Amino acid sequence: MSHVLTPPVGGSPPPHRRRDPVRTAIRGIGELILTAGLVALLFVFYEVYVTDWFSAQKQREATSQLDQDWHNGRGLVDRPIKGAGIAKLYIPAFGPDFVFTVLEGTDADILAAGPGHYQGTALPGQPGDFAVAGHRVGQGSPFNSLDLLSSCDSIVVETIDHWYVYRVLPLAGEAPGWPAGKGAQPQCRGVAPLPGRYSDVVGKTVVLPSQVDVIAPVPGHPGRAPTNRVITLTTCHPQFSASHRLIVHGVLVAEYPKVSGQRPTELTADA
Amino acid sequence: MYSWIWRHLPGPRAVRLIEALLLVAVVVAVLLFVVFPWLDPRLPFNAVTTG
Repeated sequence: MSHVLTPPVGGSPPPHRRRDPVRTAIRGIGELILTAGLVALLFVFYEVYVTDWFSAQKQREATSQLDQDWHNGRGLVDRPIKGAGIAKLYIPAFGPDFVFTVLEGTDADILAAGPGHYQGTALPGQPGDFAVAGHRVGQGSPFNSLDLLSSCDSIVVETIDHWYVYRVLPLAGEAPGWPAGKGAQPQCRGVAPLPGRYSDVVGKTVVLPSQVDVIAPVPGHPGRAPTNRVITLTTCHPQFSASHRLIVHGVLVAEYPKVSGQRPTELTADA
Repeated sequence: MYSWIWRHLPGPRAVRLIEALLLVAVVVAVLLFVVFPWLDPRLPFNAVTTG
């Protein structure tokens, strides 16, 4: 440091500080840039953590409202109210505590509270496509690990009176030799490449955001009448990006009427 | 900028320190609870639906 101030010798006080406009300007710009960097870091923190806290609160409210509705005997109607909880979604592969209340609609404020059911698509257990969107990063990130799902992983949906067990369809490339290959594993009972108009529906795909037909009653074939009961989960892809959508398709393999105090074996035994 | 703020905070050093921390807290709170929630839906990170 070459500009150490020497203590004043005379009686007059020293100037408070040296005024150098160039130095002041450069320092000001530097501080602004550093501040912008800190604000950007804070925004990342907000996206990844703070939105989770907000969403957890909204999800708790939605879940307690749904529990109350079920307790009062108000179950699914054909056209649920936008924003209302309609079902609970369990994905045992993501851990025994993975449960989210699915809300009706896919507006941003609805998705901030939990996975959202595409309005107009089938309801749980109905013929057609029960299509659900969810956040991948932040806002509770229910579908953070959707890319880790394998074929035959179960996706369990609970309504007021039923458990519906969907399982992820064979992935691309798994279909040849399925019955003797992976299809022979016990968790794959009821899962096989779907025939006919469903033959190009695989367990996991990455599509462009414009490809809305992935949530058609027959995924990929809008306008055709469904002969199967499938589930479709959508989220953004890759993580932190909106360039593509990650799509998971599953098929209904079992349904159980709800018995008080009992959970389906899919939630208790295997993953 | 920061030295300008520091010079204009009233009181002795300890009080100034507390005031500075309060200022930081206020700025962070405004960012987290007002600015970022407004900004978030305008950025493309979180589009998860098709169509």
